[in-house]
Amino acid sequence: MVQANEKITVAFNVNGGDVEIGVTPETALVDMLRDGLLLKGAKRSCDMQVCGACTVLVDGLPVSACTVPAFEVRGKSVTTIEGIAADDRMAGLTDAFIDNAAIQCGFCTPGMVLAAKSLLDCNPHPSEAEIKDYMRGNICRCTGYKKIVEAIQEAARKALQG
Amino acid sequence: MTQQEFNTVGKSVRRIDSFDKISGRAVYSVDVVVPGMAYAKLVPSPLPHALIKSIDASKARALPGVYAVLTAAELVNMETHYGSDKKDRPIVAMNKVRFQGEPVAAVAAVDLATAEAAAELVEVEYEELPAASDLTSALLPDAEPIHDSNYCHEYGYEWGDVDAAFAGCDRIFEDTFLFPMVYHYAMEPHTCVVSYEHDRIRTWTSAQHPFLVRAELARIFGMQLDQVQVVVPYVGGGYGSKSYTKIEPLVAALSREAGRPVRLAQSVEESMKTVRRHAARATIRTGVMNDGTFVARECLSYVDTGGYTDNGVRVTERISDRIVGPYIFDNVRVKSYGIYTNSTPAGSFRSIGGPQASWACESQTDIIAEALGIDPIQLRLKNLAKKGDEVRRGKRPLEGDLAPKLQMVLDKFGWDNYQREDPSPTVKRGIGFACNVTNSGASPTSTSLVRFHADGSSTVYIGTTEIGQGSRSVMAQIAAEELRIPLASIKVIGSDTDSVPYDRSTGSSRSTTLMGLAVQDAAVDVREQLLEIAAKHFETFADQIEAADGKATFKGESMTFGALIREMFGGSGGELMGRGYVTQNHASGRLTQDPVFWEVSIGAAEVEVDEDTGTVKLLRYVSASDPGKAINPKQVEGQDEGAAMQAIGHSMFEEMLFEDGQFLNPNLVDYRVPTFEDLPGEFETVLIEFGDGPGPYGSKGVGEGGIVCVAPAIANAIFNATGVRLRELPLTPERVWRAIEKSKQ
Amino acid sequence: MRPFRLYEPTTIKETVARLSELGDDGKLYAGGTELLLAMKTGLLQYDGLVNVKTVPELEGVSFSNSGTLNIGARATHSTVEHSADVIAHAPLIASVEHRVANVRVRNVGTVVGNLCFAEPHSDPGALLLLYEAEVDIASPSGTRSASVEELVVGPYETSLAGDELVTRVRVPLLPNGMRGAYLKFGYHHRPTLGVGAAVSVTDGKFVDIRLTLGSAPPKPTRMRDAEAVLRGAAVDDPAVAIEAGRIAAEGCDAIDDLHGSAEYKRHLVQVFVQRALTEAVERGVK
Repeated sequence: MVQANEKITVAFNVNGGDVEIGVTPETALVDMLRDGLLLKGAKRSCDMQVCGACTVLVDGLPVSACTVPAFEVRGKSVTTIEGIAADDRMAGLTDAFIDNAAIQCGFCTPGMVLAAKSLLDCNPHPSEAEIKDYMRGNICRCTGYKKIVEAIQEAARKALQG
Repeated sequence: MTQQEFNTVGKSVRRIDSFDKISGRAVYSVDVVVPGMAYAKLVPSPLPHALIKSIDASKARALPGVYAVLTAAELVNMETHYGSDKKDRPIVAMNKVRFQGEPVAAVAAVDLATAEAAAELVEVEYEELPAASDLTSALLPDAEPIHDSNYCHEYGYEWGDVDAAFAGCDRIFEDTFLFPMVYHYAMEPHTCVVSYEHDRIRTWTSAQHPFLVRAELARIFGMQLDQVQVVVPYVGGGYGSKSYTKIEPLVAALSREAGRPVRLAQSVEESMKTVRRHAARATIRTGVMNDGTFVARECLSYVDTGGYTDNGVRVTERISDRIVGPYIFDNVRVKSYGIYTNSTPAGSFRSIGGPQASWACESQTDIIAEALGIDPIQLRLKNLAKKGDEVRRGKRPLEGDLAPKLQMVLDKFGWDNYQREDPSPTVKRGIGFACNVTNSGASPTSTSLVRFHADGSSTVYIGTTEIGQGSRSVMAQIAAEELRIPLASIKVIGSDTDSVPYDRSTGSSRSTTLMGLAVQDAAVDVREQLLEIAAKHFETFADQIEAADGKATFKGESMTFGALIREMFGGSGGELMGRGYVTQNHASGRLTQDPVFWEVSIGAAEVEVDEDTGTVKLLRYVSASDPGKAINPKQVEGQDEGAAMQAIGHSMFEEMLFEDGQFLNPNLVDYRVPTFEDLPGEFETVLIEFGDGPGPYGSKGVGEGGIVCVAPAIANAIFNATGVRLRELPLTPERVWRAIEKSKQ
Repeated sequence: MRPFRLYEPTTIKETVARLSELGDDGKLYAGGTELLLAMKTGLLQYDGLVNVKTVPELEGVSFSNSGTLNIGARATHSTVEHSADVIAHAPLIASVEHRVANVRVRNVGTVVGNLCFAEPHSDPGALLLLYEAEVDIASPSGTRSASVEELVVGPYETSLAGDELVTRVRVPLLPNGMRGAYLKFGYHHRPTLGVGAAVSVTDGKFVDIRLTLGSAPPKPTRMRDAEAVLRGAAVDDPAVAIEAGRIAAEGCDAIDDLHGSAEYKRHLVQVFVQRALTEAVERGVK
């Protein structure tokens, strides 16, 4: 049992490295990442699990870090955008976003890229309809979505070509 | 327009901020941490309209970890009000609150949890007043005045003889259209850090116009411009929601009170209670001849500017400027009023007054076409302004013919070949079109500085903020082109008033055109200096020297630009500086008139209407981006697509709902913005490049055009599909269903 | 969010004992997708949250020999959506679960949690009602069962006592010959209307029929009066379908809210009951 204001030790793997950090139960995952670990890529926007700006991957699955408590990642593997950017194997995905003008203000981008990665991990050749369906939980207010769809399609094609 | 070979201009090169943003290292205001920084929480008014009887912050101040609580009582030795036109906005509420959510106090504490706990301890006593949160109730003669009255601003103009003209018309049409309150939803809420020090103020803020914020803060706190530094990091979306001055004075006053830097990071709900788009009621009376000639137009518009003016003066004017449409009328009388209501203050939003005006006038164009039995495209073409026409008397004549631009969109859409195929007797399809021109560019007041380094690289300084539109990259492309060096050799420093020279603002589609000219001029200034230095080196005249690829070449002999500079300074260092000044009297002669340019807006839509539920599916939408010359074509497309998608929002489902001043849906669950699933099956923008803009290489702005014509194009398509005309947005299923049911009676 | 204490029991027994001890100050916590949102906005406040995810007994998804799908309290929407058992035996459930909220909510939120939070604008309740699903409930005094119909009694209201824990949902498969469809309508983040129809047809007549409504009524509701006019009627008799829709609309107890007026919602019920029946007859699945 954890008392109010008593900290829980969260030992987990983030972007391939093991870390351990103490957080209070009510600390949201996004705040632990941003303030505790200085991984500022994940953003808080709607704070209600609607927009996806806070998306991070926990054991490969996208979650809303604004609402998921930090203690929930104990023993798990978290991927943030910083991990993607540092991973050469992800260049196909990040290049596709950059080259297709799928980034404007960039506030949605970390969450968007992580969501796209998780989509391609479970469905390497998504149709346009499947992309829209999977990604509908990630909002972008700048691009109008078309170029993000094109970026994901290009990333899928490039992965196919190896 | 001569064909010019460009090195980077006109190419969809990678944006220079892309990697920052996709790596997570891009800094936004909420990422800024200043040593000793305190965290702020607002105490908002729960009531939409009330007198403040008392504020007791003693319990809040006594909470351990609280540095300060700011109330009106602490606004001493300073100006208390601000605003872009009328300075009617108090830094925190004084004596009265005028909308639900208006900050009455603000707490600065050691951490956010403490600030939140303290905010709940601030006790405010109100005496409630009747609230009017829409135009109808605010305009009632016995409405409780929100300011001295509920009238904020009045604007109008006329030409010809409207009354005589109406008397001679074959037909007169009168329609009233309603445009809702909508919210920008920039994904980054308003955020700022202010460090108030006794002789200077430093702020890192998510603002679109750092120099205007600087001026406002200097005026409020009695400082000189050089004592105030405004830094704008990357902005997570603006669209006008971060224009002018918003939360900076409050945070500065709080920082002064707390004696330490303070950060206020608003929530989306708080930002929905900070600014929105003006709702509007527009009545248009148009007199025509049976052959479709437009003769006279009279418009009366009311725009709802909320509890304070914000950009209400300008919006009141722009809706009137834009409601005549892209047509020639010899007789016009337009009037508009900005009206206060007890709701979130309304300010700038992408094409101020444009969507509201076009919703009205371009819907009516089709109403007229239908009644006269004339094809809606033919009706438009018949009355469309041409190049050189004074589409608004006294303003810049239209720079380019519109008819060919309309045709490009129609051709892309396949308008003439459209074969209607209704999926079922109750699911109908139809097409609709709309077009307009909007006076854009704001004011030509921009300067730029270009430094050219001793190794041939360059730094470009611009006041333009990077709000997602790609301004940093566009300026880099222009500079690279004029300096004749690779794009990779350019660094752009933006939006820090201590470092970069003055730019009035980032908005009104002005930056590529106006800051672009300043950058171009500054880069040309450097190039000309380099040519002079090279001329001395080669002992010839500057016009004999070819500058390309980072080198100056004369008769087969080359010197790199860096080598020329080092030679000039006599060592291993040195630097050249170039400057660009853009004013109305710019050497090009192209900026003397207002507006800086006319932004063109065109849209064609195909919809499918399920009459049983009222659901409207947007099957296809073709928009137009008319940049004159696209500096970065893919980015231009992206801006237009984004603008159109925002318009799909206000057309189909976005609506801020107020009831007696209570804001019913101030969050993303209850306020519905477009998602991937709203992307039409076909969503294209036609790139139009006729070189008819005043900016570099014949360019002009495009960021706003895409948002203007979507709503009327969709409504016209719904009419084409079902015969039912809607005059109120958004076109929710229920609204459409009710209109269809009513038409059956 | 106000600070809270986290309790992490490892058995059902421990869980309900803790609930009993905490009383009104405590709440069960699984995915937290609804609960934590309400706590963040201050609508709900609890001193203690009791984590059910640390209780191995509260298993995920399984399929029993008796032809029942068991959805344990720990099973997320995603787990149900992708479960081989669900896809094989109750593909309708997989497809409806796929459309719940968004992928992030589905990865964290649980089906049981969704039922117990009883958000009216939601699909799983109305869907499971279509299957005549039941829940197993544990408390310090023992165990009991209840139908989903008995569990959810109103908006955000269940018939659970403060010390009761739903351990799983037991979902009987649709009887042989019965096929179902579920249509949802809405453009908001949450659904405006959900209509479930399960039908069995012999010689062109409805033999057995189940009709449920979600989101428009205050709680997931079985529309028995509408079912009555359909039973024995010809499937291609439009008048009967229209009548069923009318009865369902009249009985759906819709209110005006951000999703629309009660009048419009009743109209939607009429439309979608007919569409759901057609869908069930022509393209219904298990």
